[in-house]
Order: sequence, then structure tokens, then C-alpha cells
Amino acid sequence: MAATVTPETFTMVLFDQPTIVAEVERIAGLVGVPAGDAIQVTVDEAVPVARAHLASIDPIVLEVDGGAFEDPRHPRQLSLSAVGDTVGRLLLQALDRRDPAFGDVPADDDLSLAHRVAWDVYAVGRLNRLGLQAQRQRRVYGFRNRHGFTDVSDEAFARLWDGSGLIWADITRLSDDAAAVRTG
Amino acid sequence: MRHALPSDELARDDRFVRNSFMARAGDPRVAAMPAEKRNQRFPLSPERADGPDAARALMHGIFTGEIQALEGAGRTCWDFPIGPGADEAPFELKLDMARQCWDEARHCEISVKLGDWMGTDIGEYAESVFLYEAACNPDPVLRLTGVNRALEGLAIDVFNTMREFGVKSGDPMLEFCEDWMLADEVTHVKMGSDWLRRLTADDPERRARALEFQRVVDKLFSIGGARGEEDDSPIRLARRFRELAGFKTEEIDEIAELSAEARRELASYQDHKAAKQAAAAAGKA
Repeated sequence: MAATVTPETFTMVLFDQPTIVAEVERIAGLVGVPAGDAIQVTVDEAVPVARAHLASIDPIVLEVDGGAFEDPRHPRQLSLSAVGDTVGRLLLQALDRRDPAFGDVPADDDLSLAHRVAWDVYAVGRLNRLGLQAQRQRRVYGFRNRHGFTDVSDEAFARLWDGSGLIWADITRLSDDAAAVRTG
Repeated sequence: MRHALPSDELARDDRFVRNSFMARAGDPRVAAMPAEKRNQRFPLSPERADGPDAARALMHGIFTGEIQALEGAGRTCWDFPIGPGADEAPFELKLDMARQCWDEARHCEISVKLGDWMGTDIGEYAESVFLYEAACNPDPVLRLTGVNRALEGLAIDVFNTMREFGVKSGDPMLEFCEDWMLADEVTHVKMGSDWLRRLTADDPERRARALEFQRVVDKLFSIGGARGEEDDSPIRLARRFRELAGFKTEEIDEIAELSAEARRELASYQDHKAAKQAAAAAGKA
């Protein structure tokens, strides 16, 4: 597949566009994006926060704030592991959305924070098994914040992290069951 | 005997990366943002999509601050001969600083364990050494106002904010640890308040210098007004705990005003920088 990354030249951050293109293509191959697909990544270099979202699944378009690709130890510099984590997660979610067997996922804006975080855990767990650097305990902490600091929550996390072949209904059920214990 | 160790000689292993205050202040992205976005602030809260990650980053900042607080209190034990003079320190003050070293060492260990709990590696974020630098003043009273009253006062606000984050998210570990560390910080600030009064009882000029230094540190390290009492302040000024630490109401009012002033000045600096960047871009076009 061919990736395009805009802008071609970064002026506010010290990012190298060809390096990002190569990493996006590597990750896309790893997660199984079909060879003929094009991937567009638009980076808003002016925004130092770590937001990123999937703007379209066909073609795949990712809109990323510069902070999502940034090294927290070296401000304004590129972190390849941050690119891998962000792009890998969004590409897997794009493939989930394209898969009719996965089920209908609400639009991004309609997702609850708890469901979004649960889906992220499922995506990053798969990236981890593909050999990408993943911060498991960071994801545990984020998941507990949304689902409670309980054994049920930890068990749901483990099933998402280690899971494969899950569908949207599985993800929302695990998330809802864990959250119910917190609020119950 | 050497007085004060330069901050670039502090012992750190290769996990730590240092970042200067000026590098952050000079980041061109801040000025490039639209004004409404630039001045937007969000309280630290689990409801924020990035809340847990923001808490992790703040916790790492607390961890490096604890290391520097240990180093600063340790230097105050060592740097001054025992005595009542302006470049000396009473033995009892050194005892208090030694006790503070014990507390700060414990806080470092707690912070490392909290980092593990929250999924943060040591050195995952850059370290800035402003706390230690405020602890290098050649007058021990100014060190106490700069560090114990201003920066440990900021620590009260930060720990209370983190404790509330733990309460809201239902994180028992964070709530418990922050509550215990907060109690120690109240003691450290009170030590600073008590020693300020004792050492300057007969020297109003020295007291005025010390309080002025505290105001400078308070304003500089209100983090561009991020610590304050406005609805959108990411770090809330913890009035109740500051009162317990010996601050008078008018002193807390002054800190709130200094923070608001720092916020206005930062916004005005960024507006100025944005206008310059826009003019330069128009010139190129």
C-alpha cells in the first residue's frame, strides 16, 4: 500500500516526513491493510496534544495532532513508537469497521469514553502481539479509570488485551459489565 | 566547603532527560494556535479523554520534583556553617532539613511505585530542574521561602489536585498516597513559615527580601497561571491546606492574584509572539 503524509515539510516540529511515511507503510503491512489500499495521514503540527482519529475508512484517512507523534522526553521531536502506537491502533480499528462480521460501530463522536477505551485496549493488545512496543500497564490504568479499580475490570481488560476475533458486541459487553460493578 | 552545587552536576542516570523552561516557553506551536485554543485550560479530571495520561505526566513531574526537593534540603544541611548569621544556619534548622530529606526520600519511593501503578517508566517524560535551582540561593532564609513556602506550597496544590483525581476516578492507591504526601508537604511549608519568622524577627529588611523572593518564585512557577482559582485551572489552589501550613488569608489571596497575573502575562506574550509569526509569514508570502 502507498501512504501519503501531509505536510511534506514540517516547520514547527522536527519531524521528517519520509520517516513517517516509511513507518506508516511498515505498520500497515504488519496489521494487514490490503496491499492496494492507499492511506492518508494528515498531521496538524501546530497542535501539541496527543489526539488522533480515523476520518475515513475507505480510503483510510487519519487525522493526527502533532503531539500524538511526539517524543515526551524530547519536545518537538518524532517518536517512532508513538507513530506505531497511534497509527497501528487506528488502522486496526479501520479494519474492524470495514469487517461486516465485526458489527456496526457507532460514529466516533457517538462512542462513550468507556467503549472507546475498551476498543483501544483490544487494538493495542493485538499490536503488542505483532511485536510493536505497547505500554500494557498504562492501558490498564486508563481502563481502570473508565471501568473501576476492581477485579472484574481487570479481568475484562485481560480478555480484551489477549483477545482475538472479538466483535463489537463482545467489546461493549465486557466494558458494560465491568462498569456496572463500579457503579453498582 | 562548597556552597551550592550547579544543577547540571546533579547525579542522574541515563534514563533521565532534561528540558529547560526556556525551550518550552520558546515552542513555536503555542503562538501558532488560534487565540481561543491557546488560552484554553482544562481542569485535571478523569472525565477528560486524556485525563489518565495527563495524571501520569503530572505524577512523573512530582517524582522528579521529589528528587530535587531531597537534593535541595540536603544541600541546606551541608552548605551552611552552624550559626545565627545571614550565611549560616542554626543547628535546629538543619535538623528540620534532615527530617525533610527523610520525607522526600520516602516520597521518591512512593512516586516510583505510583509510576509503576499508573504505567509510567522512570524518565518517560523530560525533567526540568527549576525546583532545585530555587534551592541554590546563598541565603538560607531565601531558600526556605523559595522552596519551602513557594514550591512546597505549589506541591500542596498539586498533591491535592492529584488526590481529588484519585477520589473522582475511584483509584484507592492514588488517593491514599497523595493524602499522606500532602500531609508531609503541609509540614514542610509550615517549617518554612516558622523559620522565616524566627530568623528574620529582628531583621525586617531580610524578611522583606525573603518574601519578595517567594513572590518571584510563586509567580514564575504558577506554571503560566495553570495553578489558580479559576474554574478552568488545571491545578487548584488548595486554600484549606495552605491555611494549615501557616499561610494567612491575605497571603493566599496574593498567590491567587500572582497566578492570575502570570496567566494574563503569558497570554499577552503569546499574542505578541503570534502576531510576530503571522507578520513574518505574511512577509514571506
